[in-house]
Amino acid sequence: MSLSLTYKSVNKIFGEHEKNPVHALNEVSFTINPGELFCLLGPSGCGKTTLLRSTAGLESITNGKILYGEKDMTTIPPFRRNIGMVFQSFALYPHMNIFENVAYGLRIRKTPEKEVVKKVTEVMELVGLTEELKRNPSPTGLSGGQQQRVAIARALVYDPDLLLLDEPLANLDAKLRRYMRAEIRRIQKATNITTIFVTHDQEEAMAIGDRLAVLRRGIVEQIGTSNELYTNPDSAFVSNFIGKMNFFNATLTAKNQARIALSDTLVDVKPEKVRMAAAAKLSLGDAVLVGARPEQMEISKEKSKGAIEGHVQIIQHLGQVVRYEVLLDERISDAPMEIDMPALIAGISERDKVYVSLKEGMPFMFLPEERN
Amino acid sequence: MKKHDKNLVNAGEVSGGGAFKRLLQKDITPYLVFAIPLTFMVIFLVYPMVTTLMRAFMPAGNKMVIGSFSLKGFTKFFESSMYQKALGNSFIVSISVTLLCIVIGVPMGYFVARVKMPGKSLILSLGILPIIMPSFVGAFTWVILLGRQGVLRHFFNLFLTPLGLEMPPIYGMFGMILCMTLTYYPFVFQLAYGAFASSNSLLEEAGMLMGAGKWYIFRTITFPLILPSLGAGALLVFVRSIGNFGIPAIIGGDKYVLPTLIYFRVNGFWDLNGAASIAVVNVLITAVVLWLQKRVINKHEYETISATHSEVKLHGGKGIRIIAIVYCMFILIASLLPQFTIIIMSFFEKWVGLFPEGFTFAHYLRIPRYSSKEMVNTFFLSVIATILAAILGSIIAYITERKKPKGAALLDLAIMAPFILPGTVVSVALLSAFSGNSALKLTGTFTIIVIAYMVRRTPYVYRSVAASLSQLNPSLEEASTIAGANWFYTFRKVSVPLIMPAIISGSILTLTTLLQELSTTILLYSSKTRTVPIQIYGAVADGKLGEASALSVILLVVVFVIVYLMNRKQGQSIASSFKMG
Repeated sequence: MSLSLTYKSVNKIFGEHEKNPVHALNEVSFTINPGELFCLLGPSGCGKTTLLRSTAGLESITNGKILYGEKDMTTIPPFRRNIGMVFQSFALYPHMNIFENVAYGLRIRKTPEKEVVKKVTEVMELVGLTEELKRNPSPTGLSGGQQQRVAIARALVYDPDLLLLDEPLANLDAKLRRYMRAEIRRIQKATNITTIFVTHDQEEAMAIGDRLAVLRRGIVEQIGTSNELYTNPDSAFVSNFIGKMNFFNATLTAKNQARIALSDTLVDVKPEKVRMAAAAKLSLGDAVLVGARPEQMEISKEKSKGAIEGHVQIIQHLGQVVRYEVLLDERISDAPMEIDMPALIAGISERDKVYVSLKEGMPFMFLPEERN
Repeated sequence: MKKHDKNLVNAGEVSGGGAFKRLLQKDITPYLVFAIPLTFMVIFLVYPMVTTLMRAFMPAGNKMVIGSFSLKGFTKFFESSMYQKALGNSFIVSISVTLLCIVIGVPMGYFVARVKMPGKSLILSLGILPIIMPSFVGAFTWVILLGRQGVLRHFFNLFLTPLGLEMPPIYGMFGMILCMTLTYYPFVFQLAYGAFASSNSLLEEAGMLMGAGKWYIFRTITFPLILPSLGAGALLVFVRSIGNFGIPAIIGGDKYVLPTLIYFRVNGFWDLNGAASIAVVNVLITAVVLWLQKRVINKHEYETISATHSEVKLHGGKGIRIIAIVYCMFILIASLLPQFTIIIMSFFEKWVGLFPEGFTFAHYLRIPRYSSKEMVNTFFLSVIATILAAILGSIIAYITERKKPKGAALLDLAIMAPFILPGTVVSVALLSAFSGNSALKLTGTFTIIVIAYMVRRTPYVYRSVAASLSQLNPSLEEASTIAGANWFYTFRKVSVPLIMPAIISGSILTLTTLLQELSTTILLYSSKTRTVPIQIYGAVADGKLGEASALSVILLVVVFVIVYLMNRKQGQSIASSFKMG
């Protein structure tokens, strides 16, 4: 039986009574479903690791509640919580062989020797280290991927109620990382233990998580499945963190329409793509952001109606698409546009003047805000 | 699994309660474990220091009279010529020794680090010997070599007498400075070597490409970068030489220094309050020097900026290689001369002319009869104090590194304080607190010696373990907590095994230095607690150089074997263990 996990108005303030208190977690409230593989995603310093460590009890929260299932665990010390955790550094014990590393939690629980052997064998089979267990070397003699598997086995062997993974793939090389994230998902689904996976890599989070929470400065920005976050981002920040979003400075001209700065280009935005929680407060003429993903834009050599002039900076051939980086007037956008075209366009080379246009019905509209 | 579910339910119920229940849920074992060493520190370190400070302002005598106030102990430094001379001598000796050690040690460090030569590791291990050997043993062997009847003096005079000259005997300032320099130069040598060997040669190459000459580079790049290490080495030499008791006691002759003056006050007059005043002055000087060193070094502490690092290029020129080898050989021979002399002396009846006379095993054969009690005492006192210091040092290192309590810096200061305190000062402090009309009377017991040893040597283990812990990723311990282990289980199964190498190396250092401890013991021993170094000191005073040599050889062999075994097993530099943060 897996447990759900609930955060109720969790706050964490570091150095509360000192000169520069840091509000690491700000009114965090949400619930993770039983058996879910849940990703905490955000840039470094966003509070995701603090939230994970608070969940484990390694950090005490300033106020709020953390519930495992129905039980309030807020003040329970970590060693009484029955959870498993995999650390970024793996934290394997160099003074024990891999069997003893994995058996560690069972020894604490005074499990009978026969049971220990049985459980360790089972869990090592699950993580695919049967051969290594026979040799039983010290963990220092294993490769990065194998150490990772030992760390996961060690966290799973005593049937924890909750599995916490703190950037577990950060120490692996790119290829192994892609492989291991599929492995982690397979193992998690096989055990059905409610799992939190912390990462700063959006691609990793989207690939592995059933649902994701995007954090910024201690605040949960948005929670949803990968698809929900990508197709329906709530804010400019989330839209540009989950995938790439190009932004245009614009002014509101009608309820669902904006004019891009310095031009007479009017952009009609579908009502469901208007992302402005506080839209009611805006009046016509106020600044807004129009957003479009790289595949929702086009470039061409010829000026067409509503197209905006710019200069190609870099052309990157990425295989299935060709990415054009186009610099617009900085009053329209301070960052270069990334525009993905299905094929190379003849006659356009770097430093050429081009015209950028938005595909009909695709653009989003956001409140102007900091986007990083 | 079942059991744990139950645990969770119980815990969940309790958490509804107030602050008191919250407290009960916490694991209180760490606080209990931490309380013991902290209590020890307060009783046997802080309290004696405070008592000493109070006694320093009381009238002469050994009575602890609260309310009486006198500056007599200090004004003596202005009135008594003996006090003035002792203070002056201490300054002259420790400053000259520090400067000489730099002059000798820096070139040697540079040669070994930067010049191609054979047997570097041998030079490094032989170069460490003088500081791990008892310094007073070195002193009395110099008496054999350069004393009134000295072998070398005799030899030199063969040439000097026809010229109407005579080599002065070793007693006095010259002897103290010579002896201490040859004992303590390894601190500078080893630390300078480490700095020269590890400095980034890319920095020097960059200077060369910008057009700087070799000497210019040494002056503006190489040397400034080793200054912090040099400062640490110089400080160690100064602290050691101003606190050394054995060397001035044996070859100081009529020249007193502060530690011998303290001994004289206590042993001659049982004037603890007077001794406390001198101790306070002694500590003040050390503290001022420490402070100066920190200020100078902090100005020159550089962080490494570059990411890449290349091996230093070695000088291969014939001229410099010959100079380097001859220089190192000369210094090594001079500083190891006492060790050779003592081995020869221990097998002969007397050695007054050029050659020793009367080969004999008698000195060794006498040991079981006359010194067996001392041997047993030395062994038990050192071993017990080492074990206790290891426990104390490790736990306090764990507290300061892992729990980071509010007063961590203060705790660090308290535990490191005895590191710069001369042995005689620690003894005076303990005598001040636990003798006469005090509540806990410990004079003349084994306990007071063990405590003094512990207080003085805990910094070794503490430093070693603290350094090791700071290298250890806290997630190793957190992983254990998450797996369900309480604090004590984690401490036993994870923390202690992982810091064990550091505990062992700190303990070995403690043990080897305690086996030869003289300056602390000299004020604390009684007839039943005599140790081997005391026995050697007594034999030298009685002129029984043969017996003193035989005992010293045994001490040397034991210390050497322990250090050799440790080096084989751990292969780390001992000099760096002496370094203070």
